Amino acid sequence: MVIEIADVIISGLINGSVYALMAVGLTLIYGVSKAFNFAYGSFYSLGGYIAFLLFSLSFINNYFVVFLLAVPILLVFGYFVEKALVAPLRKRDDWEIKVMMITLGLALFLDNSFQVIFGSRMKSLPPFLEGGFEAGDFYLSHQDVGIFFLSIGGILLFRWFLNNTRTGMSVRAVAQNPAGAQIVGIPKEFVFAATFAISTVMVGMGGILLAQKYFITPMGGWDILVKAWVITAFGGMGSIKGGLYAAFIVGMLEAFVGWYFGMTWTLIVLFAVLLTTLAVRPQGLLGKWG
Amino acid sequence: MIELVDVNAFYQDFHVLKNVSLAVEKGQIAVMLGPNGHGKSTVLKSICGLVEKVSGVILFEGDTITGLGSEKLVDMGITYIAENRELFPQMSVLENLKLGAYSRSARAFEKENLEKVFDLFPRLRDRRSQLASTMSGGEARMLAIARGLMSNARFLAMDEPSLGLQPNLRDEVARIIKQINDQGITLLVVEQNIPQITELADTLYVLEEGSISFAGSKEDALGNDHLKEIFLGM
Repeated sequence: MVIEIADVIISGLINGSVYALMAVGLTLIYGVSKAFNFAYGSFYSLGGYIAFLLFSLSFINNYFVVFLLAVPILLVFGYFVEKALVAPLRKRDDWEIKVMMITLGLALFLDNSFQVIFGSRMKSLPPFLEGGFEAGDFYLSHQDVGIFFLSIGGILLFRWFLNNTRTGMSVRAVAQNPAGAQIVGIPKEFVFAATFAISTVMVGMGGILLAQKYFITPMGGWDILVKAWVITAFGGMGSIKGGLYAAFIVGMLEAFVGWYFGMTWTLIVLFAVLLTTLAVRPQGLLGKWG
Repeated sequence: MIELVDVNAFYQDFHVLKNVSLAVEKGQIAVMLGPNGHGKSTVLKSICGLVEKVSGVILFEGDTITGLGSEKLVDMGITYIAENRELFPQMSVLENLKLGAYSRSARAFEKENLEKVFDLFPRLRDRRSQLASTMSGGEARMLAIARGLMSNARFLAMDEPSLGLQPNLRDEVARIIKQINDQGITLLVVEQNIPQITELADTLYVLEEGSISFAGSKEDALGNDHLKEIFLGM
């Protein structure tokens, strides 16, 4: 019993950490440009498939190389998606709705492309660390520890970027006051595209990390989109700190509900908690940028 | 230094500026008066690249700058100081000032300008780590002006610095504008609640219904019956 609960807590922490990474990415786009990216889940699958493709190349056999290549690929992909699809809409009326529609279209396009290229069967990635810690019946794999620290490391790196670099400061400036940012000469369009690109890396890396434990499927991103969305709304739209708390709460909740009631109940409980929270606090846990 | 020739500006389909022509000489202070809602802010924003639809010719030191975006113009030395301040609320005073020096040309002078700005506004030095959102109206106004100065601008377009300011701070604002000008910065100021600022003007402009209805010196203005009537009630 004690060991089972420990396992559940560990599973909640690990999933929570990856959810946090992905939710921070989603809340980043919303906080900075007020756009909602419906293709976010498909970017998660894209990360997994990119890693799968890289591993199928004979000269690549470790995760270090995969990360080294996947990050720039995702960055460039995100940047051009924003420039080509989202940016042209921003000048029109009701652009928020139009961005939702076009990213929804992109999601369907990507998912179907995955199906055509990779087939509908599940793909898996090798674990990036072997072995684990053992103490009696208790077992903690190195892979889980690695995933946890990579996700948290990614979030801390992002935080450092926001607070300590010039570009990071300009991202916060656009989020807090777009008109003010324009006045001091910050190129808003570049900041929008850059944040979109960074969030694509965050969710894509989440895909690579979680694909080792679960699988990659063409439609697998929708579950992630829903969860990242629940976490973002739960934590407070545009609040990075709120998103962090919410991600770990959701990770834990999912693990405990899955263990006690069965996995089919997790989404139902998640939405129940979300609705209750929003009924009491419509702005979410910490509904402010910061 | 700055010259506008037959400038028209639009918000969507609304025609705000109609054939506005004016010129501000290097080292001068020009002040623009006129009723609210007649387009004074739009003149400043058009110069600073903050209005989407502008036609006509805007010259800066002889070069055409019409249609350039604010990131280019700030880099060239043209900066707007907003009437509603447009600060970054969840950032410290220091971060706001550093963002004022965002443009490429201002970066090299960041330290130097920070010292200058702190000398001009000693209170900002004391409050450098305070969040902008927690400042009083007067302090926030000072911060907005200071942030504008951080851009190393040679031309400042200052929009209603008296807005939201206690009357006893008005002298202070006039003194600061004088000091900024003494450093060699050219200014176009929209302001009509501070007579001390009008006193500083080398040139006065009056904007009514989107057109310049008067241009000239203070002395000319005093001899103009129409101006006396609308601004002095005489």
